[in-house]
Amino acid sequence: MAPVIDLHHISKVYGSGNTEVKALWDISLAINQGDYCAIMGPSGSGKSTAMNVIGCLDRPTQGQYFFDGQDVAQLDDDTLATIRNRKIGFVFQQFHLLPQLSALDNVALPMVYSGVPAAERHQRASQALQRVGLANRLTNKPNQLSGGQQQRVAIARAIVNRPLLLLADEPTGALDTTTTEEVMKIFAELNHGGITVVMVTHEPAVARLTDRVVWFRDGQVLRTHMSPNDVSYGALVE
Amino acid sequence: MDLRESLKMAVKTLTASKLRSSLTMLGIIIGNASVISMVGLGDGGRRYINEQLQSLGPNILFIVPGSRETRELGALEVPRNLVLADADAIAEQVPSVVAVAAENTTPGLITFLNRNANVSVIGTNPAFVTVRSFTLDQGRFISDLDMQRTSAVAVLGNSLAERLFDGQVPLGQSLRINDVAFEVVGVLAVQGSNLGVNYDDAAIIPITTQASRIVGRTSTFGTEVSFITATARDSESMQTAEFQITNLLRLRHGIVDPNEDDFFIQNQDTLLAIADTITGALTLMLAAIASISLVVGGIGIMNIMLVSVRERTQEIGLRKAIGASRQDILIQFLIEAIILSAAGGAIGTLVGVSGLSLLSLLTPFEAAAPVSAIVFTVGVSGSIGLFFGVIPARQAAKLDPIVALRSI
Repeated sequence: MAPVIDLHHISKVYGSGNTEVKALWDISLAINQGDYCAIMGPSGSGKSTAMNVIGCLDRPTQGQYFFDGQDVAQLDDDTLATIRNRKIGFVFQQFHLLPQLSALDNVALPMVYSGVPAAERHQRASQALQRVGLANRLTNKPNQLSGGQQQRVAIARAIVNRPLLLLADEPTGALDTTTTEEVMKIFAELNHGGITVVMVTHEPAVARLTDRVVWFRDGQVLRTHMSPNDVSYGALVE
Repeated sequence: MDLRESLKMAVKTLTASKLRSSLTMLGIIIGNASVISMVGLGDGGRRYINEQLQSLGPNILFIVPGSRETRELGALEVPRNLVLADADAIAEQVPSVVAVAAENTTPGLITFLNRNANVSVIGTNPAFVTVRSFTLDQGRFISDLDMQRTSAVAVLGNSLAERLFDGQVPLGQSLRINDVAFEVVGVLAVQGSNLGVNYDDAAIIPITTQASRIVGRTSTFGTEVSFITATARDSESMQTAEFQITNLLRLRHGIVDPNEDDFFIQNQDTLLAIADTITGALTLMLAAIASISLVVGGIGIMNIMLVSVRERTQEIGLRKAIGASRQDILIQFLIEAIILSAAGGAIGTLVGVSGLSLLSLLTPFEAAAPVSAIVFTVGVSGSIGLFFGVIPARQAAKLDPIVALRSI
């Protein structure tokens, strides 16, 4: 199966001379279609930078990045915006829902930017909310929803444009254990449905639920392993 | 993302924070209201003056003392070299003129019993009522006999009579003007003020009496006058009359070179033109001052929009992350600014127009905003939103989604 994410010798360097910071250094990584993958590592390890590059939010300083077969490493902002809109769904730790919009309108937002007609937007947004179990919360504003519900709205927004890749940055970081479980169940279901899921997490318990863990340290991939049960605090402090 | 979606989105965002939106609009509302009311006031003023000039009566010529120089320099003291004999000569010798009135206005103190009033004392001749189309409320006007005899008779303006006699019959009463006893022979009907002279609050006496008993002879050529008004036979004779009067007066004053004229003649049209120039300049000045507040309102919108971009950094980051292009963000913020300023403009116009209507309802002053001014100000306020919205919108569009999402 062709990899959805294919990083070739990617480096990301900030600043120059003495103040140069190598956030990523010569990383090669492939993630296949349908993978369910966690990215772990201590703060400053480069995992956030890697997320930004993978999510087409940022361009690498060097290297090639084939996303869905297309070299996206040096595309301009607006082309990257279109790729994010059509092929990538984002879920953030802080949900990032627009407070003035209802759940339905929040979920429909990506389709506004891809030019989907209003009636279809409405229908697809309700379907997506149904899929995350919020069929009865369509008209609620974010501040009328619990944290777990807000994150489910955010997930619905991420999947509404039927992306290839679901990219989650600490999706359970602001949730308690029970809601974490609910949200992780939704991610697992979506992955079973065929969507590639990549998530950055600090929590071994969360990472253990994925199929593959990629460890970052000092801007490089330390190791990847396919057996999630290896994930432990021991590995984290290694 | 099409324009309709952008509009809907902007309306949703703006109505989500109603207080902020209204406060942001306030500057534009005030700016537009003041522009509209200033232009309306200026326009009303112009119409008021025009009405006044037109109420002077048709076919009137004003003959005013003063050389070209004194006129152009706008001197306050003009040579007093028009005399009653000039007026008489015009009446006798200019065939295209049907009536001539001379007027000399001096301040005077009127006393009746224990009541005093400081008023204008106008010395004139019997033709005055004809030239000015004035009517009498009671009694009679000054007669030719009064002129010959320099009789101490006075015709009072309507409100002056009211004030002095307070319900008593004024006719036949004796009052004192600057300590000279006068008999009241008539009362004018209500005239309103006219070219800055309030005839309702004036005392009118024979100009000959005024010269001999009140002011004395102050000119070497005879009884001096402030100005002469003459009525031409009809509107076609206006030019002829002006020409003939000019010739006659030059002859009488011994003037050869037209540049040395010591008088000048104005008709209703030239007065209207002068008044139009003055009120037009005044309106423009008022509008210009009011426009400053409109611009300040625009800067207010820019300020709030800049703050709004900072506050909504995360929203902008999120929108970009899920696929908004630079242009989408730019348009979104521009449209918000334009909606704010256009709505503010419309509300301000409404406020200005209703203020003007209220004014014309409560006062005789007919002030109304011309449609052109309304179209102009609403258009301008919309463009102000566009103009001042560009900087914040560009800032928003420029934001890096990663930085924007991380900011708190």
